[in-house]
Amino acid sequence: MPHSDLLMNRLTTALALVSTGLIGFQLVLMQLLSVVQWYHFAYMVISVALLGFGAAGTVLSLARGWFLRRFHMVVPLAMIGCGAAMPLAAWLAASEHAVARFDSYLLFVDPGQFGSLILTYLLFFIPFFLGALAIGLILVRYSREAGTYYFANLLGSGVGALFALALMWVMKPVLLPPAVGLIAVAGGVLVIPRRYRRRLGTAGVTALLICVWFFLRPFELQQSQFKDLSKTLDLPDAEIVLERSSPYGLVQVVSAPALRHAPGLSLSYRGDIPVEKAVFNNGNWYGPVTAAADSVHLLDYSTSVLPYVVGRPRMVLDLHARTGSNVAQAVTHGAEAVTAVEPHESVLSLLRRELAPDTDSLLHHPAVTVRAEEPRTYLAATRDSFALITQPIVGAFGGTLGLFALREEYGLTVEAFGEMWRRLAADGMISVTSWMDYPYRNPMKLLATLVRMLRDAGVEAPENHLAAWRSWGTVTFVATRAPLGDEALTGIREAARELSFDPLLLPGLRPEERMRYNVLQDTNFFAYIDRIVAGDRGFIERYDFDIQPATDNDPYFSQFLKWKTVPRLFDEVGPESFPFLELGTLITAAAFVQIFFAAILLIILPLFRHGWARGGRVWTLLYFSGLGIGYLFLEMVLIQRFVLYLGHPIYAVAAVLAAILIFSGVGSSISQRLHVNPMSLATVAGAVALLIALYALFLMPVLRATISQPLLWKALLALMIVGAPAFLMGMPFPFGLRFLTQRRRSHVPWAWAINGCLSVVSSVLAALLAVQIGFVAVMLIAAGAYGVVAVISAAARGT
Amino acid sequence: MRNVLHITKLLLSVAVMLSAACTSDLRNSDSDGAGSELRTAEGTGVAGDAHRQAERSAGEVARAMADTADFREERLELVRRHIAARGIEDPRVLESMRSVPRHQFVPEGYVEQAYENRPLPIGHGQTISQPYIVAYMTALVEPDSSDRVLEVGTGSGYQAAILAEIVEAVFTVEIIPELARTARDRLRQLGYGDVHVKQADGYFGWEEHAPFDAIVVTAAAEHIPPPLIDQLKDGGRMIIPVGSPFRTQTLMLVEKRADDLSTRSLVPVRFVPFTRDE
Repeated sequence: MPHSDLLMNRLTTALALVSTGLIGFQLVLMQLLSVVQWYHFAYMVISVALLGFGAAGTVLSLARGWFLRRFHMVVPLAMIGCGAAMPLAAWLAASEHAVARFDSYLLFVDPGQFGSLILTYLLFFIPFFLGALAIGLILVRYSREAGTYYFANLLGSGVGALFALALMWVMKPVLLPPAVGLIAVAGGVLVIPRRYRRRLGTAGVTALLICVWFFLRPFELQQSQFKDLSKTLDLPDAEIVLERSSPYGLVQVVSAPALRHAPGLSLSYRGDIPVEKAVFNNGNWYGPVTAAADSVHLLDYSTSVLPYVVGRPRMVLDLHARTGSNVAQAVTHGAEAVTAVEPHESVLSLLRRELAPDTDSLLHHPAVTVRAEEPRTYLAATRDSFALITQPIVGAFGGTLGLFALREEYGLTVEAFGEMWRRLAADGMISVTSWMDYPYRNPMKLLATLVRMLRDAGVEAPENHLAAWRSWGTVTFVATRAPLGDEALTGIREAARELSFDPLLLPGLRPEERMRYNVLQDTNFFAYIDRIVAGDRGFIERYDFDIQPATDNDPYFSQFLKWKTVPRLFDEVGPESFPFLELGTLITAAAFVQIFFAAILLIILPLFRHGWARGGRVWTLLYFSGLGIGYLFLEMVLIQRFVLYLGHPIYAVAAVLAAILIFSGVGSSISQRLHVNPMSLATVAGAVALLIALYALFLMPVLRATISQPLLWKALLALMIVGAPAFLMGMPFPFGLRFLTQRRRSHVPWAWAINGCLSVVSSVLAALLAVQIGFVAVMLIAAGAYGVVAVISAAARGT
Repeated sequence: MRNVLHITKLLLSVAVMLSAACTSDLRNSDSDGAGSELRTAEGTGVAGDAHRQAERSAGEVARAMADTADFREERLELVRRHIAARGIEDPRVLESMRSVPRHQFVPEGYVEQAYENRPLPIGHGQTISQPYIVAYMTALVEPDSSDRVLEVGTGSGYQAAILAEIVEAVFTVEIIPELARTARDRLRQLGYGDVHVKQADGYFGWEEHAPFDAIVVTAAAEHIPPPLIDQLKDGGRMIIPVGSPFRTQTLMLVEKRADDLSTRSLVPVRFVPFTRDE
């Protein structure tokens, strides 16, 4: 359907603006819901809400004619409604006046929570549905110019990612929904036609006022009562004394007269535990604000003092320094140089300035050097040698409920420990502490990872390089470059007696030494530990939890669930406790099941109206499903790979996401000038499949070889690596729409529905698959999906 | 069911008033005779004893009125299926679990689930523990009728009530003011006059009443406060659940003998070893 250049320009701009608002809202929502609940909940809600894209396609497919007749009314109205719904949905779901008071902790306790969950889904579904309805309708009406409009969609999305990131630096999370909402409203106002000016103008002004109202009168976020921050604020006289917004999260510093931090403190300690302030990120514990000048450091009464018993390290590297507890311990032990690597810039800024008096200016101490970057990036670049490398404690007191199962932890992989090992001086050591848990998981996986690293490094007898002891709550492992000598062993035994700790691993350790102060009911732990040190891979494979060492290809240290043992575990711990064993994975799996069935429903609904077998339905389904799966699978892997490579997780995510979307947009725009036929579809999809397959094989070696290069070079290389497939991946979707316009025009809205649904299903499925089979396999599946698209495109020549 | 509860609450307050005035021998009205010994909490003397006897009798009446045949039946079933059948043998613990009306300690919306063997939320991110865990913890401290027990983390007051059925005096400390106030009122209404509730930081224990034969820490922290260890009698036992809300992984028993301390990590659910040789 031809249209004037002026209208096209305005529609393109409006489409780009609403796309900016939508992707911005998606990122903003992730931040907001992570503050109110947990990352997994945010992930689940957003995934379901994004089905709004698929639903919009389904609705367009069912009532294409009705919507096309009202195009000039519906497009601006949907955009305006989309923008206004953003702050309204946030207010109704996350404020103290929320109508949907959902708490993911209570999901398996209170059946009423399911109603709240569905209401939460619906609230966030609305803005995505309205936005996608507007975009979809434009693509349906002007499907011959799909390349141009899809370019605007992708370009707007790319800009939206960067824009949301910038906003997070300057605004509190609660102000972000009205801010991105305004952009979508602006898009709608831009395309109000003259004849509807009065009616739609009123809607526009109302939407504008709603956004401005929530901007000027921000509501209070209602956090889950089970979040660390909520529980801390319940303490008498607790108050938030400092607050910073950033893309890393909402940082809050709490002061409370009853706040004491002494993880796993020895029962031999008889002194006071000082009251401290504490830092929380998105409502989760981040670390205590520790005074460095204390002559006796509390950590000296925890198992993490082990490296200072083994030796007297002078050059210390603390990876993920957080609020500096390990740094302070190193300083009190007289370390001459302590390098603190911490990527959270807001926390570092607070520690350097406002919290400096509380930490005795720890970060300004002459021995301390601070590096604001990802630990792995620092490790790859540094040429220094260290006598001791430390990390934060692994796990959490009482367990994490598996809430971090899908979080990539690149500091706890075999490769990470390998890099630490290479940076050790001749007398150096790596020290890492874990909370004890039950069933035994964290200490076992940690040890398995250390042993694998030692063997990979050519250490023939790891048992001579490993020392460990445990208290009632924690276990600390030390891996030493040189074999442990008699002097160190004597020192460890003496200190264990003084501190009521039990040696767990020492060369020549007698069984009776292992359980003198802290008795375990399940003494199999010791046999398990010995089998891991002995390199018994069969035992690790048979264990009921996943304790295989984490690798860079599968960096999910906290993922312990094995699907095949779920029925057995369910019987063992009972239905009440089971969900709380590995909550994170289960919530994500639950999200996938919901999305999968909802997506199927949205995809097949139009078939009831238009018929199941008529003209090329299978082709359309396979083509656009393949694109949805392939695109999202590769996007997810590229983002993960470059987070590690570029070293600044938030910037890396935004930059890579923006680059993928913008390059795809350029590809889409250029595709508009190319002739569409089955061979062009097959050629582009085949090229993408081939490129992704090559990436699966060579991406990691290339990144490993260049990770120590200067940031500028790495950024340029990243741009090329991301840009090449993204450019090509921008073409098949508009190609497909144009192809359908030529042959089966009524399929166009259905294609939009399939693409929207599969994109959402794929993002959750990619996360679940990456945990189980690793990134390389996920990339190969992406290549396969594009391969299928190529094959069916080639086969379409005869149709 | 809720209407019954509302009426029960009204009757309860009337019963407490009436029974405080009437000190006749009501204490034998509890036919099972659980905890029928006269206990002393603070002070001595005939007047004090008589007052406490009256209080106790009033409590039994109050609890009886707060109960219903349905709830009693559910409670007995819970104890039989989930506590006695899972290895808790101490008759005093079992009797206490049969006596204390758990449905009075859970929020209104969860009354229907009160006799399921699961933890339930009580607000402020806290839970009322799973009944089996409460019974197991109580059994582990080996309570004696003459014991003085400190509880850190009153929460709903349920654990304190269970202990109060067995021991001489229970001192319980809760840091969150709302929880402390609610638990104090609830325990008083139910006639647990020998449970002493204080709103304070549990880190410091309750020094005025120390030393204690046993300490039950229900709100576990990632360290064991040194003052609690100091307030534990020689030969005393301290029990701490380790876990996150809704899931206790292990129970830690701290034993003090001649100033030597040892810990024992106990597994509340009998897992079989987590590996199999195939």
